[in-house]
Amino acid sequence: MDDVVIVENVHYAYPPLTPGGEPIPVLKGVNLRVRRGEFLALMGPTGVGKTTLCLTLNGILPHLMGGTFQGKVVVAGMDTREHGPGEMSRQVGLVFQDPESQLFNMTVEGEVAFGLESLGLSPSEMEERIAWALEVVRLSGLRQRHPLQLSGGQKKRLAIATVLAMRPQVLVLDEPVTGLDPVGRHEVLSVVEELKREREATVIMVEQDAEAVLTWADRVVIMEEGRLVLEGSPRQVLSQVESLHDWGLAVPQLGELAHLFNRRQGTSFHFFTEDEAYSALADEPISNIQYPVPDTQHPTSSEHSTAVQVEDLCYRYDDGPWAVADINLSVEAGEFLAIIGQNGSGKTTLVKHLNGLLRPTRGRVLVLGQDTAGQSVGQLARKVGYLFQNPDHQIFAPTIWEEVAFGLRNLGFSEGEVATHATEALALFGLGDHADTPPAVLGYGLRRKVTLAAVWAMRPQVLVLDEPTAGLDWRGTCTLMEEVTSLNSQGHTIILVTHDMKLVAEFARQVLVLDEGRALAYGPTRQLFQQEAILRQAFLAPPPITVLARRMRPYGLRGDSLTVEEFYQDYTALQQLDKEQRGRSPEQSEGTGAEEQGNRVPATLCPCDLAP
Amino acid sequence: MSFAFDLYIDRPSWLHRLDPRTKLAFVAFSSVLLLSFSHPFVSAAFLLGIHGILWSGKVPASRLRWAWQRMWPITILILLLWPIFYPQGEEVLWQVWRIRITTQGLCQGLSMALRVDALAFAFLVLLFSTDQARLVRGLVKLGLPYEWGLTLAIAMRYLPTLYGIYITVSEAQQARGWVIGEGNFVRRIKSYLPILVAVIVMALRLADNLSMALSARGFQSGARRTYLKDLELSLADKVCLPLFAASLILFLIFRLRHGLGA
Repeated sequence: MDDVVIVENVHYAYPPLTPGGEPIPVLKGVNLRVRRGEFLALMGPTGVGKTTLCLTLNGILPHLMGGTFQGKVVVAGMDTREHGPGEMSRQVGLVFQDPESQLFNMTVEGEVAFGLESLGLSPSEMEERIAWALEVVRLSGLRQRHPLQLSGGQKKRLAIATVLAMRPQVLVLDEPVTGLDPVGRHEVLSVVEELKREREATVIMVEQDAEAVLTWADRVVIMEEGRLVLEGSPRQVLSQVESLHDWGLAVPQLGELAHLFNRRQGTSFHFFTEDEAYSALADEPISNIQYPVPDTQHPTSSEHSTAVQVEDLCYRYDDGPWAVADINLSVEAGEFLAIIGQNGSGKTTLVKHLNGLLRPTRGRVLVLGQDTAGQSVGQLARKVGYLFQNPDHQIFAPTIWEEVAFGLRNLGFSEGEVATHATEALALFGLGDHADTPPAVLGYGLRRKVTLAAVWAMRPQVLVLDEPTAGLDWRGTCTLMEEVTSLNSQGHTIILVTHDMKLVAEFARQVLVLDEGRALAYGPTRQLFQQEAILRQAFLAPPPITVLARRMRPYGLRGDSLTVEEFYQDYTALQQLDKEQRGRSPEQSEGTGAEEQGNRVPATLCPCDLAP
Repeated sequence: MSFAFDLYIDRPSWLHRLDPRTKLAFVAFSSVLLLSFSHPFVSAAFLLGIHGILWSGKVPASRLRWAWQRMWPITILILLLWPIFYPQGEEVLWQVWRIRITTQGLCQGLSMALRVDALAFAFLVLLFSTDQARLVRGLVKLGLPYEWGLTLAIAMRYLPTLYGIYITVSEAQQARGWVIGEGNFVRRIKSYLPILVAVIVMALRLADNLSMALSARGFQSGARRTYLKDLELSLADKVCLPLFAASLILFLIFRLRHGLGA
């Protein structure tokens, strides 16, 4: 009887996009109950209806958007069929994914006040609630600030405060940390933790990040194609590694390691955190072995020509402070460089110099040996392809084919060349069948792909990718990175701006760490990820697997693994060495050894073993 | 991100504390006054007085300089063109072909320029010292429907956002070799098309999300709306408002009865 949210057999279809078109079914029979005080995580790949489900909870669907709605949603005794979103907002606090569109006031204080004014509260009560809500999200000192002046993490926290102040029975958070830098993530998640621990709030959180779900959720439900397909405790659900991967979902990185051991060695590990993994793996008999340090460097291209050269680059916007200062960089052709750092550390400012969108205040930038000064953005577009963070910033054409052909026409290719290049690009990215589809109606992952195809079609030597995986689910990330790696192996120089350290660890060979516009460190990924102090200075941390590997170094592990697969190879090599040194041990017979050897080829692995 | 769409500067001053309705009344008072008096002395004195108000209201000199930088081209233009297009009057100072410059023309030009400047600064008194939220609140309090006020406030709030989207989109298209704003007029207009399409699509998405965010915050929840900071006339307002009314009546009597300041 204490179910505060009751969703019964809900079907929902959005109204058709064009008059006379087909309605778009999204929810196909959802049943869900949430107890008072429960923290529920809702996971699922993009486009399966997670946000749609959130919108039905406060009656925005179907009241605001129309469409066909069947079934029943009752929150705190109120049926959404009888009560519109205005009334439901007293019971359900909905925090949307995009912070920009839900902060529409001129001050932080006014933002929180808006909902309370709508409820008709007295000024003194409002004052009290505003003070309380801003304290919970730790923004008390910024009451008069304009919401646009806040950082990403602060915006999300403010959005949470605006609905928290309305004292709803249920708080619904739609991907609260997506798109934030590590500091912002931490800020938001610590507020979420406080809500759970101290306020005993009922929370429904849509989240892709398996590590966050593991830490905070009481219960997890997985959504797939408009239905809830799996539910249970985070540990139960997240240990279903194969099913989750089939649905296109990530699991915690160390959970993936456990799974790898279980599959290849028949163990029954069940760990997720660093401590659990450590005690499980360090239990195994491993003697202290001096390990020969093999060459871990990836081979770089043979010609050694420089693709991008940045010399003493300084830049400031108008009369502001230096946005980047004294940057020196030399990127070889065929290199894979990652640029990491917090928001506002100058990453985008730096890469915008590579195609001439910004011009150095001091210093110079050379692309393929030529100074960018004196070359227009259009001329540089032949050499440097630039993929913007949000695909919607560049999509405008009526069909995918036109979208891809646009850049080629701009560069003055003949119609024949435009046709061959565009067709080739569409084929490479598996978009051949969609050539006549309007890109705007595609899902986010496909829109992302269209923009990459459009940039690739221009055949630039250097590809700049600004946060290309933001907003993509695990499968989308895998596919995209697979394509990027294949472009890299064809000789394209890749410059990747990202917050995702697992991506950096797995794919980048060089890393540049920026902090407040200055280069904090620049070098090979493997070495750099060992220098935790430097990373910490930029508020970054190596992925869990790297941390675990280093912690296990006293057991003879090389200790610089960047991926789950590397760790596993390292560990089994050590087991092997250990076995050979002892030269006996009947239970670890030849049979298992051979099997291990056979399994070393990672053929059955997912294209990339990252778990964002 | 630029905040240049907002002229407001936060300062602790009596002018800032004044009710927006009082300042709106001041703008109305100034407009009627300046339109009915045409003598350059009146406009000049008024302009000087407004600068006194702005100065005592702690509006920084840099903002005044900024305002004058925008005003002087139009001022010069009026001073130059008015006498040329107003050839009436007895005292001819200078004549070439059909162009006659008269003392009267010069005086009228000066008067017109000063009036335009004074009027602009009367509006700036309001805009420099009133934040947008309070301004909208004042308008609603004066009878503007709340929904209209909210629409106005949201429009002002999202100008910088849309501008930011516009900048990013044009960068994204330039990065694909698109050249903006070159060639003849038609070609230049056309060159903005790929940018406008993407900006409009994004603006529509934004508007959709905004309408959801509004209803998630209890907009039209059925309750009567209250306000965290409702406007109330302070003592200063209660002094200023009758003062404006009285002096306006007084000035108008002088103007109409006695023909002063024509």
